[in-house]
Amino acid sequence: MTDGSRFSVQTLSVLAALCAEPAGWRHGYAIAKETGLRSGTLYPILIRLAERGLVEACWEEEQPAGRPRRHLYRLTPDGLARAQAALAERAPRPRGHAATAGGRRAAPEGA
Amino acid sequence: MDRFTAALAGLLGRSAGLLPVARREWAEAVLAEAGEVPAGTRRVAWLCGGLWLVIREAGMGRVIRVLAFAAAAVGLVLIGWPGASSNSATPLNRVYVTGTVVLLAALPWAVRRYVGPVRSGWAPRAARVGGYALVLALIAAKAVKDRNGSKLGAYFVIVPGEWALEIVLLLVIVGYVAGLFILTTERVRLTRWGLPAGIGFGMVTGGVLYALGPLGPGAGHHGSSLKWWGLAALALPVATGLLVGRLAARDARPAVLTPGQGARQGCLAGACATATAALLVAMLTSVTIALFPHQVPLEGTAAAGGGPDAAYIAGGGCETCDPNNTVIPPGLRHEYWVEISVGQAGMGPLAFLLIAPFIGAGLGAFAGGFAGRSRGTSGRGAGGPDALSPPALSQPSGQLGASTPAASK
Repeated sequence: MTDGSRFSVQTLSVLAALCAEPAGWRHGYAIAKETGLRSGTLYPILIRLAERGLVEACWEEEQPAGRPRRHLYRLTPDGLARAQAALAERAPRPRGHAATAGGRRAAPEGA
Repeated sequence: MDRFTAALAGLLGRSAGLLPVARREWAEAVLAEAGEVPAGTRRVAWLCGGLWLVIREAGMGRVIRVLAFAAAAVGLVLIGWPGASSNSATPLNRVYVTGTVVLLAALPWAVRRYVGPVRSGWAPRAARVGGYALVLALIAAKAVKDRNGSKLGAYFVIVPGEWALEIVLLLVIVGYVAGLFILTTERVRLTRWGLPAGIGFGMVTGGVLYALGPLGPGAGHHGSSLKWWGLAALALPVATGLLVGRLAARDARPAVLTPGQGARQGCLAGACATATAALLVAMLTSVTIALFPHQVPLEGTAAAGGGPDAAYIAGGGCETCDPNNTVIPPGLRHEYWVEISVGQAGMGPLAFLLIAPFIGAGLGAFAGGFAGRSRGTSGRGAGGPDALSPPALSQPSGQLGASTPAASK
């Protein structure tokens, strides 16, 4: 297994979105809007994070009127700790380094 | 745009069924949230992303395998189906093509349902893909060979007995694929490297036998290759059985093999090796005859320009007096002999398909049992109660047990 603390840029953006409100449940489209990721990129990331136990997922319990039930996501305690560590590790990097990694995988895919 | 979006949504909903049950909800989540996305290109892009998710998570390999089989089946139909109505091989080829495509399409489903899923790892999947490729190539080449050998259809009438033999051969070939599928399921426990060893030895032996006699054993200038066939039929399963028997004796993984399985492992690997060799050489020989029919040596009295009843005439018979006797007009006699030679060529390797697995299984079991006994099982760690417990099946790579951490831990 690769080092779980090393995430791709896209994965970090998803973790950052989920970290913003760690106790709350988020749905996929909201995360996609916040991160700018397409569904074909976002959902595989969410699947990998869920596989690693960093994200938990569930369906809305009640059927809302006028729309289908949503699939909801939030970080697990382990996921929150790992996400905070990864984001903290990334934050102090020089701007130039971050720019180089932008849009590409900054590190081996960890999730 | 609305229709297109609705069609995409319908496609995503249906294609979600391609995913393993545990992952289906992810595709359903994309579909559920599509309503939140603004209509138009953004919603189309969202749904396309969902389709990409299905393709990706269903396993590109699975989709590619289905497409590859479909392409190969179309290729087989294009090669095997055409034929003049006057060619007596045309109906036979069409039965072969239809039967092969239907049976090969149904086999994975049937084996999975009744025997179980494919074993994890690269070797079982590679073996299945290779087996399919071999069989499809063999059937296509046989169809071309038979078509070349039956252009004078009136003189090559296929009698019911020949039909029965051809159908038996088709079933034997499909039986090879079924055997390969069963051998590569989780239920069949093979020692580590047992399958690659069997297939590898078989491919090397098949390649050597083909090089010794590209048109089959005993054909043309390569008549001496017959003795090599005999030697290979003995040596291949024995060598494979000995190797796999030793590998099984060394296999210390707990609860994978029970002690003293050398004979069983040798039997499976020996059958696999001889079946691989037989199938490979049958395919290569048939392809060679199909591509180079004029390289096939003429049979019998053809070289002397005689008809099929040359011996009959030489014995004082009258070839036109017997109403059951087929008289070949002098102008067609050379073509007749060319065609009968092509049609009969390569029958040796095809006939060997019938007995190869049995020879391999018997000799492989003997050799594997011998290797297991001589090696002993003192170094094994798999004895005791654990040996009877079911194998520790590895989770297929990338498969999601559940989407919640509590369930996955």
